[in-house]
Amino acid sequence: MSATDGPGGGDAAGGLALTGCWMRWFTESALAVEAELTELDQLAGDGDFGTNLGAGARAARRRLDRLPAAVPGSSPGPGSGPEAGSALPLEATATAFLDEIGGTSGPLFGLLLQSLAAAVAESGTTTAALCEGTGRGLAAIRRVGGAAPGDKTLVDALAPAAAALAAAPPGTPPGRALSAAAEAAWRGVRDTARLRARLGRASYLGERTAGVPDPGAAGIGLLYGAAEGPLGSLRSRLAAPG
Amino acid sequence: MAPFFQNSAGRLVPDALAGFARAHADIVTLDPEHGFLTARDAAGSRLVGLVSGGGSGHEPLHSGFVGAGMLDAACPGRVFTSPHNRQVYQASLAVARRGGVLHIVKNYTGDRINFGIAAERLAHRGIPCARVLVDDDVASDSASSGAGPGRRGTGGTVLIEKVLGGAADTGLGLAELESLGSALAARCRTLSVASAAHTSPATGEPAFTLGREETEYGVGIHGERAARTVPAAGLRPLVARMAGELLAELSPAAAGDPLLVLVNGLGGITSLELYGICGELVRVLEEQRVGVARTLVGSFVTALDTRGFSLTLMAADWMTLKYYDAPVRTAALRW
Repeated sequence: MSATDGPGGGDAAGGLALTGCWMRWFTESALAVEAELTELDQLAGDGDFGTNLGAGARAARRRLDRLPAAVPGSSPGPGSGPEAGSALPLEATATAFLDEIGGTSGPLFGLLLQSLAAAVAESGTTTAALCEGTGRGLAAIRRVGGAAPGDKTLVDALAPAAAALAAAPPGTPPGRALSAAAEAAWRGVRDTARLRARLGRASYLGERTAGVPDPGAAGIGLLYGAAEGPLGSLRSRLAAPG
Repeated sequence: MAPFFQNSAGRLVPDALAGFARAHADIVTLDPEHGFLTARDAAGSRLVGLVSGGGSGHEPLHSGFVGAGMLDAACPGRVFTSPHNRQVYQASLAVARRGGVLHIVKNYTGDRINFGIAAERLAHRGIPCARVLVDDDVASDSASSGAGPGRRGTGGTVLIEKVLGGAADTGLGLAELESLGSALAARCRTLSVASAAHTSPATGEPAFTLGREETEYGVGIHGERAARTVPAAGLRPLVARMAGELLAELSPAAAGDPLLVLVNGLGGITSLELYGICGELVRVLEEQRVGVARTLVGSFVTALDTRGFSLTLMAADWMTLKYYDAPVRTAALRW
């Protein structure tokens, strides 16, 4: 990949290029698979997750469009840390998901993105920052929703993603670390098909959710996978590899 | 079919909110962008802002308790639906003091999650935030099994909001208010009954139907049916049975403290009935040599037009009574 993936995470402009593309590709992916997510959620939830994620993506895109374009060598945008500029696309997407989306799953994605934004603002788009932000986001989501691994929620994809980031050897470029996180997340998503929902609306459906992967978890796979580029369909990711 | 007087089901809450803010313009201010109410006269002595909220349909809870001596802000959701985290977040930003903000949350999954998301956002901004969870309804006690969402938050909310308001005005800090609030919640239990369900604003139909000789025993405040439907037994035995169950559920640590008693209408019951119920309840408690320190009678925590009532007992030490007796000036409670 480009210089943005150099050891240590690259300069501020490179960091902004990475977070900016990542968030754009995440919104594109969410819109591309909206119908597939809705279908999953009709089988394993109350059917509104695809629409909520899609609405979040549209709201995020409006906010991303208003951000100043990345100009190499330009000073980062306003904010607290030295790398505040790289955090802007994450912050904009976080606010869209926190403020503009009904239900609870969308705002929980907002909490995760907010933690990522804070970590990147502090120390730049580095693998360490992505690991830190993901860990803090996972902790916040668990505090708020009370979900543990195995409850058939987005935690079942986010916890493996956080573990993969934590296991990245020192010097791993951030792009490669996000790919590893995505791979771990999708494995977690596929594993949720075997689980029985204990929390949320899906819990009322009991055994009927057996065999269906959790749509919220799929949203996490979508998020981390988007750093490599937009995804057009969930099919390849939900099918067991090999 | 008994249709609501409303422009549409979707306009019911926003129209009422605007009318409420106009009618009580001397007490509250409405933030129309984010949909929350704040108190006009908040005591300068407070270190911590008090924020509550929840689904609409329980009026005067919570909007009617915004004002001097009680809540600094309330966030109403749609009918029987949790407020959005954005409402709670913005309301908290608006009323946070030097010591931060305390959320008073009824124990329902949606409220817990949305107040929880708002609390995480406040922490992100460096604003201290704590929570008091109200879970007083003994009819939904699943704590013994260790699973499920636990007891619902119902009538006790108004007593806890009043006592915490009085306490906050004395300048207590966030940690002190949080621990006082959870102690109050542990000493407060409620039981609700109904002889007819509420009317749905969307359909104009009752949420469920009961026979003439039936009482729904342990009903929720959202049209959830009770675990038991019992034969109507007459007022005296009904109140005695409810009082007996509530006394048995109160924390043993609170034994010996006098009671703060709330006789609360669920929205479709007359004052005549409520005062008759209060008389029976006090008689039963005095027969059992339980001291009654204060009684509050009225419709404060309703469930639209449910024809029913709830009884709340809170074991109150002298400090709790001092905070309860402190002056209050809100739309629904003043002394």
